[in-house]
Amino acid sequence: MLEQVMTQYNEAIMDTDRDRALQVVHDALALEITPEEVVFEVVVPAIELMMKSISENQGVSLAQHFMAAQIASEVVDDMVPRFRKAPQIIGRVVIGTSQGDFHGLGKRIVAGCLKAMMIEVTDLGLNVAPERFVDEALAHDAQVIAISSMMIHTARGENGCRRVRQILKERGVEDRIKIAVGGAPYRFDPELYRSVGGDAWAENGITAGRVITCLIREVRK
Amino acid sequence: MMNGMERLTAAINGTLADRIPVFCNLLDQGAKELGLSIKEYYASGEHVAEAQLRMRAKYGYDCLWSLFYVGKEAELLGCRKIIYAKDGPPNVGEMVIKKNDDISRLQVPDDITSHPAFAEELKCLRILKAEAGGKYPVCAYLTASMTMPALLMGMEKWMQMLMMGPAGLRDELLTKCSDFFQKQVAAYRAAGADVLVYSNPFGSTDFIPRTFFDEISLPWMESDLAPGGTAGVVYYCGSARFNDVIESVIQNLGIGVFYLSPMDDIAEGKKIVAGRGVTCGVINDIMLLEWSKEEIRAEVKRMIEAGKPGGKFLFGTLVMPYAIPEENIRTMLEAAYEYGRFDSE
Ligand code: B12
Repeated sequence: MLEQVMTQYNEAIMDTDRDRALQVVHDALALEITPEEVVFEVVVPAIELMMKSISENQGVSLAQHFMAAQIASEVVDDMVPRFRKAPQIIGRVVIGTSQGDFHGLGKRIVAGCLKAMMIEVTDLGLNVAPERFVDEALAHDAQVIAISSMMIHTARGENGCRRVRQILKERGVEDRIKIAVGGAPYRFDPELYRSVGGDAWAENGITAGRVITCLIREVRK
Repeated sequence: MMNGMERLTAAINGTLADRIPVFCNLLDQGAKELGLSIKEYYASGEHVAEAQLRMRAKYGYDCLWSLFYVGKEAELLGCRKIIYAKDGPPNVGEMVIKKNDDISRLQVPDDITSHPAFAEELKCLRILKAEAGGKYPVCAYLTASMTMPALLMGMEKWMQMLMMGPAGLRDELLTKCSDFFQKQVAAYRAAGADVLVYSNPFGSTDFIPRTFFDEISLPWMESDLAPGGTAGVVYYCGSARFNDVIESVIQNLGIGVFYLSPMDDIAEGKKIVAGRGVTCGVINDIMLLEWSKEEIRAEVKRMIEAGKPGGKFLFGTLVMPYAIPEENIRTMLEAAYEYGRFDSE
């Protein structure tokens, strides 16, 4: 039965049909599938399946990423309060767009996926100063700072990732906090993350979940 | 030696030329050329025209741009704040649509040409036409109705409305943006623009699933283009891939020039176009920040070898990042002129 729910949920996601996806979830609850199962056996595997289609180059569009993240985070918000005991958080992330950059869609998709994977996300919004990234990461005890940039000058500029790296170094917290970057320029130049001082990057919101989970594990080790 | 217009015309007609046309899209670099800050530079149509003419003469490529920056279109619809960077393109700094109610209040000016935000661009176009009209194609950039809301409300809110509705409001906004497009394209045509770059990332299946393309993107593109036709129109998805929709674009919209993504397979694109139009191979110009001279030459060679056989091919760039060293621009262009030559074939 769970398998059938998963198939139906996946189809709804790929068809970018939010209403149908939410209906599948509610029907499942009525069939006494638990909220825990909905999240861990349906929502998270759906994201993993999407990662698989992407790595097999089966063309998943931005709209599908957006809807997968959107629906997953809505379902998680709805399910978690119904859990029998509070779920274990994998780690904490602060996310924002780099200074001078007002493009928020990538950040939103990434944050939605992280949330569905039980990562606590603090959204710092748009146009975030480098000092603020670090201050907030320390204040929230975050393992990862996630920086989204859509333009070359905000990705490579002196007030973006480069400066965040420098501040982490100055404060001696580089082993406690890792940096993940992403956004259009990184997709056009897959080595760019290195030259700006990032620890990792991801091509899309779904793989961002996996990459950031790895960074969290590295810090926690 | 032929000029840019002759090369472009030859590429369109499939006749012989000295080499393929080369479009190098230098925008913000004009400020550097005139020794101005980017903000000062874009304050005047005379600046932009002068720098466009100078850069074209200096580097020898085949196009001129009347485009300042894309955010200007939002200014025509009421945006009053532009954010300037010292080393990158200006960006929209205020959302014209902050809440759903703002959509019904959105007004498309009846006469775009009399709008103050258009005045400088018009000035620029007139100078370009006077100085180089008929010799070098003057390009204008126009945002498709389906992409325009991204400039008015941000991609995030627009994606949400596009995918999750409310559909009535979405269509009201699209109707206004399509009306705006039709007026804009007419204004550019009247002012003498030769090439009209029709920019629509939502016309790529990197952005939306195929069914969405067929059912929603296509009809809105038809609405944009039907009144004015497709003369001079270039299909461009903001650098997103679109080989898989070329056939449909030809059949349904009748567009005849395709400005591919750097991630599209050029030979495949050309095969699909199959002589029914011009295929433009586009370099991943962000890599011009990193590549060595040899790497640049090798990439240009690879691209041109894939696209040149049989003609009807153009070499182009995206929006060249401001920080690309002049030397790398020259290396790319020299390679394009060299490999793009037609030796008395
Ligand atoms: C849609 C688009 C537009 C639209 C909408 C713009 C807007 N306001 O949002 C239009 C056509 C209007 C436009 C205009 C411009 N654009 Co534009 N645009 C694009 C396009 C096609 C997609 C960008 C986008 O929204 N993607 C959707 C988001 C969600 O994708 P994403 O940011 O890549 O995020 C994904 C991943 O990268 C990853 N990710 C994102 N963030 C993070 C963070 C972390 C930590 C991780 C791990 C992962 C991750 O997950 C996300 C989801 O899958 C890109 C090219 C491309 N193919 O990417 C160019 C592009 C971004 N634009 C570009 C430019 C230059 C501009 C302009 C400045 C042009 C100009 N001179 O005026 C204007 C600016 C307009 C403004 N804001 O004022 C350049 C930027 C590079 C550069 N040269 O600096 C690009 C790359 C095109 C190019 N190669 O030339 N643009």
